[in-house]
Amino acid sequence: MGIGKALRPFIEFAGTATNPADLADILGETTGRMGYDYFALTHHVDLRDAPPSTIRLHSYPDRWVEYFDRNGLAASDPIHRASQRTAIGFAWRCVPQMIPLTPADRRILALATDHGIGEGFTIPAHVPGEANGSCSFATANGRPLPPDNSAQAQVVGSFAFEAARRVWQVRGAETDARPRLTDRQRDCLIWAARGKGDWETSVILGISEDTVAQHISQACERYGVQKRTSLMIHTLFDGTISFADIARR
Amino acid sequence: MLHLIEGTRPHLEDAVLRNMFEARKRVFVDLLGWDVPVLAGRYELDQFDTADAIYLVVTDGHGGHRASARLLPTTRPHLLDTMFACLCDEPLPRGPTVHEITRFCLERSLPACDRRAARDELVSALARFGAGYGITLYTGVAEPGWIEQVLSFGWRARLLGAPREIGGKRLGAIAIEIDAETPGLLERAGISGTLCFAGEVSDAA
Repeated sequence: MGIGKALRPFIEFAGTATNPADLADILGETTGRMGYDYFALTHHVDLRDAPPSTIRLHSYPDRWVEYFDRNGLAASDPIHRASQRTAIGFAWRCVPQMIPLTPADRRILALATDHGIGEGFTIPAHVPGEANGSCSFATANGRPLPPDNSAQAQVVGSFAFEAARRVWQVRGAETDARPRLTDRQRDCLIWAARGKGDWETSVILGISEDTVAQHISQACERYGVQKRTSLMIHTLFDGTISFADIARR
Repeated sequence: MLHLIEGTRPHLEDAVLRNMFEARKRVFVDLLGWDVPVLAGRYELDQFDTADAIYLVVTDGHGGHRASARLLPTTRPHLLDTMFACLCDEPLPRGPTVHEITRFCLERSLPACDRRAARDELVSALARFGAGYGITLYTGVAEPGWIEQVLSFGWRARLLGAPREIGGKRLGAIAIEIDAETPGLLERAGISGTLCFAGEVSDAA
């Protein structure tokens, strides 16, 4: 299929970018090749109060971005609001069907046009527990969207945002000092976190009850904690287990 | 007793916090059926229970839970901006003096009038804490029954947008203005608290 072959280089390069400048270069090049003039990769946060892990990468005209930030427009940007209503990319001309637009919204859209930004396509990026964000591709005012490449923009936008999450260390830096559990220790821990006793877990995993207790006790040692509930909290917040692992149903 | 717990990684070593997370499970999961994670079958905590969260907890003399609420800074991802932004018809309030009230929890096992007293203590504490901490606005997401109560407490509270159905539940976003007058406004409406934070001196003393 055509899409896969054309995008593999982008996906590989985006996956290896280690700093914002590299990612901007790769994204800028791909933006042009797809037939757009601008890209904007951003968390939907007012930059005036944002933590350092806030993603912001774009090729919009500087004057527009300065105006946008100076007036705190991130808080009311209609494109950002519309991106919360869908899981896939959407053209800006569809926004009036997605959310109610106020006069202030139409003013922001008109201002963007005045600053040289024409039509656009936005791919939402929603990771639970993190600020909402998106990757947008836009044309210069007067130029139409490139035909028929919404699927391509979708893939590029998604991989670009994920690369940005890695570069900006949105989840915190990976350090070697973080304790690591074996698969079995983690398995036992997850069932305990789901409320199963050691005997139930031993039945589920097909090992002895003593072994289950041992795995959990060794995992506690690796984290330097006495109680298994402390272990559960540590591992939840360092990503060893996820809230999805212990979700109901 | 009234506890203010902030700046600490989530943990269960402290009885007050432990009892609070257990109460949250009994209320939000067992009673209200929320689809939220439960730890070890006993505690309800989620990805927002980080060191950035501030907890106000009303307890009996032994640290037993009576009422609690979690405050989240709006300068970081929180519930309203990450999951319920569609409930705001106006720009979502955010900033260093805006905090979101979440997991407002009343102890199920209390008789109705004690539960109401605990509720009033917590609401009063939220107002006094907010005013003292420099908070100018609380935001929150709630179901219509609770929204109606919040709007009737006497403080300056309003809806941020029309309530909508999300995931089968009707929800609305609210904002509550906080300033030095707020505790007085609450008292005039019959909501008052007698408990002090540790270190706080009561006017009545």
